[in-house]
Amino acid sequence: MKTSWLKSGIASVALVAATGAAWAEKANDTLRVAFTKELENVDSFFNSSREGVVLQRAIWDGLIYRDPVTNEYKGNLATSWEWIDDTTLELKLREGVTFHNGAPFSADDVVYTVNFVSKEENGVKTQRNVNWMESAEKVDDYTVRIHLKEKFPAAIEFLSGPVSMYPAEYYAEVGPSGMGLEPVGTGPYKVVSVVPGQHFVLEKNENYHDSPKGQPEISNVDIRTIPDVNTQMAELFSGSLDLIWQVPADQAEKLATMDQFTVMNESTMRVGYLNMDAAGRSGDTPVTDLRVRRAINHAINREELVNALLKGKSRVVSTPCFPSQFGCVEEAAKSYEYDPEKAKALLAEAGYPDGFTIDFYAYRDREYAEAIMSYLNAVGIDTDFKFLQYSALREQNMKGEVPLAFLTWGSFSINDASAMVSQFFKHGSLDDARDDQVLEYLNTADSSTDPDTRIENYAKAIERITDQAFWAPMFSYNTNYVFTNDVEYTPTADEVLRFTTMSWN
Amino acid sequence: MVDTSTTDSLLREITGPTPGQMLRKRVFGHQGLLFGGIVLAILLFIAIFAPLLAPHDPYAQSLMTRMQPPVFLGGDWEHPLGTDHLGRDYLSRLIYGARVSLMIGAVAALISGVIGTAMGVAAGYFGGRVDMVVTFLINVRLAMPVVLVALAVVAILGGSLQVVIVVLGLLLWDRFAVVMRASTLQVRGREYVAAARAIGASTPRVILSEIMPNIANNLIVVVTLEMAHAILLEAALSFLGLGVQPPTPSWGLMVSEGKNMMLFEPWMVLIPGAVLFLLVLAINLMGDGLRDVTAPENRS
Amino acid sequence: MLTFTLKRLGLAVLVALTVSFISFILLFLAGDPAAALAGETASGEDIEAISRLYGFDRPMLVQYGDWLFSALRGDFGESYYFRLPVASLIFERLGVTMTLGVCGISFALLTAVPLGVAAAIRPNSLIDRVALFLSVAGQAMPSFWFGLILIVLFAITLGWLPPSGASSPMHFIMPTIVLGYYAMPAIMRLTRAGMLDVLSSDYIRTARAKGAPEGRVLFRHALRNAIIPVVSLAAVQMGFMLGGSIVVESIFALHGAGYLAWESIARNDLPTVQALILVFSMFYIVFTFLADVLNAWLDPRMRSS
Repeated sequence: MKTSWLKSGIASVALVAATGAAWAEKANDTLRVAFTKELENVDSFFNSSREGVVLQRAIWDGLIYRDPVTNEYKGNLATSWEWIDDTTLELKLREGVTFHNGAPFSADDVVYTVNFVSKEENGVKTQRNVNWMESAEKVDDYTVRIHLKEKFPAAIEFLSGPVSMYPAEYYAEVGPSGMGLEPVGTGPYKVVSVVPGQHFVLEKNENYHDSPKGQPEISNVDIRTIPDVNTQMAELFSGSLDLIWQVPADQAEKLATMDQFTVMNESTMRVGYLNMDAAGRSGDTPVTDLRVRRAINHAINREELVNALLKGKSRVVSTPCFPSQFGCVEEAAKSYEYDPEKAKALLAEAGYPDGFTIDFYAYRDREYAEAIMSYLNAVGIDTDFKFLQYSALREQNMKGEVPLAFLTWGSFSINDASAMVSQFFKHGSLDDARDDQVLEYLNTADSSTDPDTRIENYAKAIERITDQAFWAPMFSYNTNYVFTNDVEYTPTADEVLRFTTMSWN
Repeated sequence: MVDTSTTDSLLREITGPTPGQMLRKRVFGHQGLLFGGIVLAILLFIAIFAPLLAPHDPYAQSLMTRMQPPVFLGGDWEHPLGTDHLGRDYLSRLIYGARVSLMIGAVAALISGVIGTAMGVAAGYFGGRVDMVVTFLINVRLAMPVVLVALAVVAILGGSLQVVIVVLGLLLWDRFAVVMRASTLQVRGREYVAAARAIGASTPRVILSEIMPNIANNLIVVVTLEMAHAILLEAALSFLGLGVQPPTPSWGLMVSEGKNMMLFEPWMVLIPGAVLFLLVLAINLMGDGLRDVTAPENRS
Repeated sequence: MLTFTLKRLGLAVLVALTVSFISFILLFLAGDPAAALAGETASGEDIEAISRLYGFDRPMLVQYGDWLFSALRGDFGESYYFRLPVASLIFERLGVTMTLGVCGISFALLTAVPLGVAAAIRPNSLIDRVALFLSVAGQAMPSFWFGLILIVLFAITLGWLPPSGASSPMHFIMPTIVLGYYAMPAIMRLTRAGMLDVLSSDYIRTARAKGAPEGRVLFRHALRNAIIPVVSLAAVQMGFMLGGSIVVESIFALHGAGYLAWESIARNDLPTVQALILVFSMFYIVFTFLADVLNAWLDPRMRSS
């Protein structure tokens, strides 16, 4: 009885999926997409999640745009830019652009946006994205100058990434929470409705300017938050979703065998790593001992994790940054081969012949965390597992209460090592290493305009970080995009869904 | 203090010696008791001798042999019930999971039983202000949403077997208190209690040797009910990710882990859920059976 | 009657106050939220400044009083996560939870009462056995597991019902069944026992002896009496159910208050969790208060006890 039940379950999946595709909303020109996480605020300066980046790219525009395929910088809201000196960037703005609410875009909007977000007290969530800017100044209606605090060579990259332009008058009136509820931008999609965290409806911006992002084709995008991948798949089967992403490898493999769906795998800039409280902010835990941190590095079988769990375009990473990022010199990193015996020996040497127990935190990919935990357990490190949501773990981390954590960072898809190494090793509240030498290297690297000096210093920082085993870098992520055959889409390697490049078959 | 009819209805649900029980005994009672007893004995045996019975180490990970199907779906006998998402032997985890469930059920019921019985008996025996306070506390406790409070506390303290047991133990005493209070009230007026008092027996002595033996039958029934309740709650908390933490094998956690592959490998959800159902069913049937057998009107 | 109602109301208010105090302390123990509010670049002094600004450095009782008075005015503070008023977040999502609760209890009553009555009229019959089986199984059924099985069966295998969400009445069918089945066994047992009790009582025998029609005996006389405790139990169960909707809402991805509670706990969003504990408790307190008053009105004996 049970057997037939089980078998019918499997058979039926294929059956329903076959009929399901017919219900797709192609007829209504509405693409239905699922988000996994409840987004805290649509205002892109006030969230730190991937879902937020996706909406940001649809609703707003940056001054500059980086082509995700060729990595070439192109003008978006600016048409040209030029360094006046090391810390002043002058940009010519595009004329004739209007915001979704009809307000014309001009230098005033750039000045207001930059001046607002760069002030620390305004509380932009990821300060690193904006705190390199000092202020902006209007030269004329379509010319602005952005003043930097100090030399910052990654400026162009940041301006084409997380720094979007907001309508001055409207933003001044409604502020971040008002913007989150009724977002207004210049981007390819207008926001029709927002139910905080749950439901976002977008509609094509018919007046979208001649942007390098391309013109939107699909008229409506309907995004619902469905926290569970399993439920998302059930919705996909029953024909009430058209596209899901961030699908784990196991499920993607199964879905790939079905004719109704297209499964595409792309690499991402997201790196998974273990963060260890070397500075002892959470107390005198064993990970303050270098030998223990090295033992942890040796205890993990990264190859096996990548081959058996992450699969796809994931790879083993030994750097505290994503290898494609400028300055992320792989040769500089000390890599630790999988060697549980060596790990045990190091632990014994450090005075823990029988291992120890430590709090182990994680916020996503429970399965990976469990596998990592199992490697640690195998060399004698017992773990008290604490699984929190990102915001909660980040908060504890800022308070310095996290001895060991499995974390990931996607660098906001910024192709520069500063977006990752400098985010975490410059003595900020998330820095558990607090190493002065690393700080010095990074300060030099971050503020130099000479590419060779930057590479040299990032390399030194990476060498120091990996030699001291402040982290155990492990692997890069990949993302599986699954969509019905009605949808035509080629994902890019930066973990951003771009609705403008989607169309119906 | 007002004796609210809501607590009263909870009470009637459990103790009320109704003619229905006589009938149920005929219909189901002893069969249920027998079935429940046998299943529970088997599961208890499995839990106690888990290290001898489990074919593999329940914690041994083998990422290269993940999600192998059970024998009856084409797997091999090396892993009779297949392997989980980390390549751990499913049968072994299921066997160790019995330990977790039974331990949580038993210890949580013990803690809540001690708290609830002490409160209930004190309220019933002393009456007056004591009764007022206890009745009030019961009302407060009933008003608190158990799942939500348990989730919040576990989240604050961090999930572990001990924390879950203590939290459940501290939350599930309400039914003990309600039932023990009412049972004590019934017994208090009886002649033998008055007689014991008359010959100068101390209060603790009266309670221990005269009251307790006469309310023990109701106590046993509540113990089984609350044990089942605690086991289900632990499974739900673990399912929601805020109960027992991995790698500890908990059936609720196994359902939650299997859920990700539910559409393709339904056995990963069906098996742990089914054994959980079976365990709780067995405990409930035993409780029902015990109630029928020990109900006072059946003893004569 | 008025005295009873007033006394009962006093009790309800006291219980509500105590629950609010407990939930406040519980989350007060979770620690100082200032660091989270201060942001990632904040220094120690910044955190202290924020702590002072928000008043986290004041004595606990003062903070509690403050929180309570704001709560009485419907102001539960601002969610740490969404940066929106907690009250509006909860209000937005309460509709789904209330709908689910009302559907759930209705489902439970509509299945449990007829089954209980039928089982009592014909004890030991097939229907009695079926009812008993359903109630025993219902008590042992882990609701999260039941929900998952329904999804596989009705949403995937048969394709009859939508697997998740709350956008149409169809979406509520499976969650209603799962939630309702949780309350069903207790109501059914009580109905059955109550009916058996009443049916064997003297006045029913008298009514029958006088030749009253059987249907009239059963429904006018017997059920009316047997239903009184069921009303109380239904109120209790309804309160439990709203608190228990966390599991159901998470399985069916219903964005209700229970789901908000679960997410908020995992996000460490204390103001939201505190408010939700209070709101769920208030539902229980209000339902049981109304049920007690209703009962006292139906059954004068209750008033004196």
